[in-house]
Amino acid sequence: MTTTTREAKAHANPSAYVPEDGLLLDVEDLHVEFHTDDGIAKAINGVSFQVRQGETLAILGESGSGKSVTAQAIMGILDMPPAVIPEGKIRYCGQDLLTMDEEQRRRTRGPEISMIFQDALSSLNPVFPVGWQIAEMFREHRGLNKSDALAQAIRLMERVQIPAARERVKAYPHQFSGGMRQRIMIAMAIALDPAVLIADEPTTALDVTVQAQIMALLEELQAERQMGLILITHDLGVVADVADRIAVMYTGRLVETADILPLYANPAHPYTRGLLESIPRLDQKGQTLAAIGGLPPNLLRIPPGCPFNPRCRMAQDVCRTDLPALREIRPGRFSACHFAEEVIDD
Amino acid sequence: MTEPAIEAVSEQKAVGALDARGDVGEARSLWSDAWRAMRKNPMFWISAGMIAVFILMSVWPSLFTNTDPAYAILERSRERPNSNAWFGRNIQGYDIYARCIYGARASILVGLMTTIAVVLVGGAIGVFAGYKGGWVDSLLSRIGDVFFAIPLLLGAIIILVSLPRTTNYWFIIIKVVLALMVLGWPSIARLMRSSVIQVKPNDYVQAARALGASPWRVIRSHILPNALAPVIVVSTINLGGYIAAEATLSFLGIGLQSPAISWGIDISAAIVGLRTTPHMLLYPSLFLSLAVLAFIMLGDVVRDALDPKNR
Repeated sequence: MTTTTREAKAHANPSAYVPEDGLLLDVEDLHVEFHTDDGIAKAINGVSFQVRQGETLAILGESGSGKSVTAQAIMGILDMPPAVIPEGKIRYCGQDLLTMDEEQRRRTRGPEISMIFQDALSSLNPVFPVGWQIAEMFREHRGLNKSDALAQAIRLMERVQIPAARERVKAYPHQFSGGMRQRIMIAMAIALDPAVLIADEPTTALDVTVQAQIMALLEELQAERQMGLILITHDLGVVADVADRIAVMYTGRLVETADILPLYANPAHPYTRGLLESIPRLDQKGQTLAAIGGLPPNLLRIPPGCPFNPRCRMAQDVCRTDLPALREIRPGRFSACHFAEEVIDD
Repeated sequence: MTEPAIEAVSEQKAVGALDARGDVGEARSLWSDAWRAMRKNPMFWISAGMIAVFILMSVWPSLFTNTDPAYAILERSRERPNSNAWFGRNIQGYDIYARCIYGARASILVGLMTTIAVVLVGGAIGVFAGYKGGWVDSLLSRIGDVFFAIPLLLGAIIILVSLPRTTNYWFIIIKVVLALMVLGWPSIARLMRSSVIQVKPNDYVQAARALGASPWRVIRSHILPNALAPVIVVSTINLGGYIAAEATLSFLGIGLQSPAISWGIDISAAIVGLRTTPHMLLYPSLFLSLAVLAFIMLGDVVRDALDPKNR
């Protein structure tokens, strides 16, 4: 079913054929700067990654590492100005989104690339019923009439497991619980069967049991529709079961990318190792939780050399002068550390 | 593998709870909530009733009186209220009751048309400035400030005097509306702009953009419905102000002029008899005050209903 809808879409929009290797999204050397009164904040400094059909990429990092800015740059919803994209390419099915005209790009949002936001309550319009908001997707992009669009909305609400969807279609966002709202947000995002779905911290605002339900739903939908999923999070626990690959970000750079299991077993960057050590573990009772000392640097004044060097336990002189490049240290494993080999064998 | 099971159970419960209650609770929007609050407020019914009567007066004045307001009996000039002329007669011998009824048309017309024009022009400029931001916003805001700095009456006098003179009723009405609109739009534009700026960074506006909504749809479906409430309140209150402004301009002799009928004209003509025959002044002033009061009261009620803090 998924392939047929994808082909049908390719007919409707002949420019967007999925290449044979399934490469949907190819971000290459992306830079994003914010021009502020205090100077230029370099939020993204040369990020490259790829997302294939049916693949889940988790982008991991703490606040201010550039995860959300990356997502907004892909979606094209950065406020420009103050944001500027001086360099880089974002290719969707071979087409560079950054050079597309605005109208063409708008048409890719929703049917091709779609997004789920962190806080579903504030992401839903408070003055309209949820069914109306889901139906709006069909009316805007597919030109369906009101009743057909509403029928589709009910079908989607049932698909994301909202109980009594038919009755609740006329309810307003504030009448739903947090988990249900996030389901509605997911319904809106998958309404037009996008090829790539970006989930920006989809479970951060939810409690732990609901988190698991939402992640299970996302995983199920992704498998069903063979979407490329980009999962943005700061929570290592959330992505462990779902993601195929992980990209760890720090000060707007990828510091490590790897398949999920090898990364958990053997981190190849001191920052990743610090993150993993800071997860509370059941088998280490009564010990002080390890934490990474210090704070991420101010993006207006990123230190020379490796941006992580002021917080790194392994930092040497070379770390304070030379910026390490992201290099392949094992097949499929990339790390931006001068001592990656030592870290991974540690 | 217990999670899906838990989920299924909790959803069973949820469905059960819904079934037990029979419904999911009445869906209530901001506007239906506001309507509920207004319905219970006697002030709403009083002001709405008064406005309805004034609108009826301006559309079908003959419902209220059979007397021709332009029929002067000069020998009965300044007659006091009696069974024949309920409110008495004015200096020209016109029936004051009929003049008050017929005078509503000019006031209501000017009030409504000015409000609509101000909301359309000021609202559009405010939305554009707030949505675009940057130099467009600065430019439009400064232009608004220029107009804002001109006092309403002084500015209206200058505009009305410089426009071509005419005795055509509709043309004069439109001239007055135009003058008040030119001077009135910045207040609504400012309000609209600030509302739009407040609504724009909300996640649901970003989400709508991320899901491919066009700028027009973002404004129409997501920004406007969430930014409109303060504009509606202020416009309703301003409507009363525009009615007063029309009367003032007519009073000063630069708005409507005889033979057109307006409360302002009658108030102006009655000044000469202020001490001897105050009824000539009393009744048109009373009608004017009631009309202004009705709209200001309605605006207050609407504000209370829309403001959740006042519940």
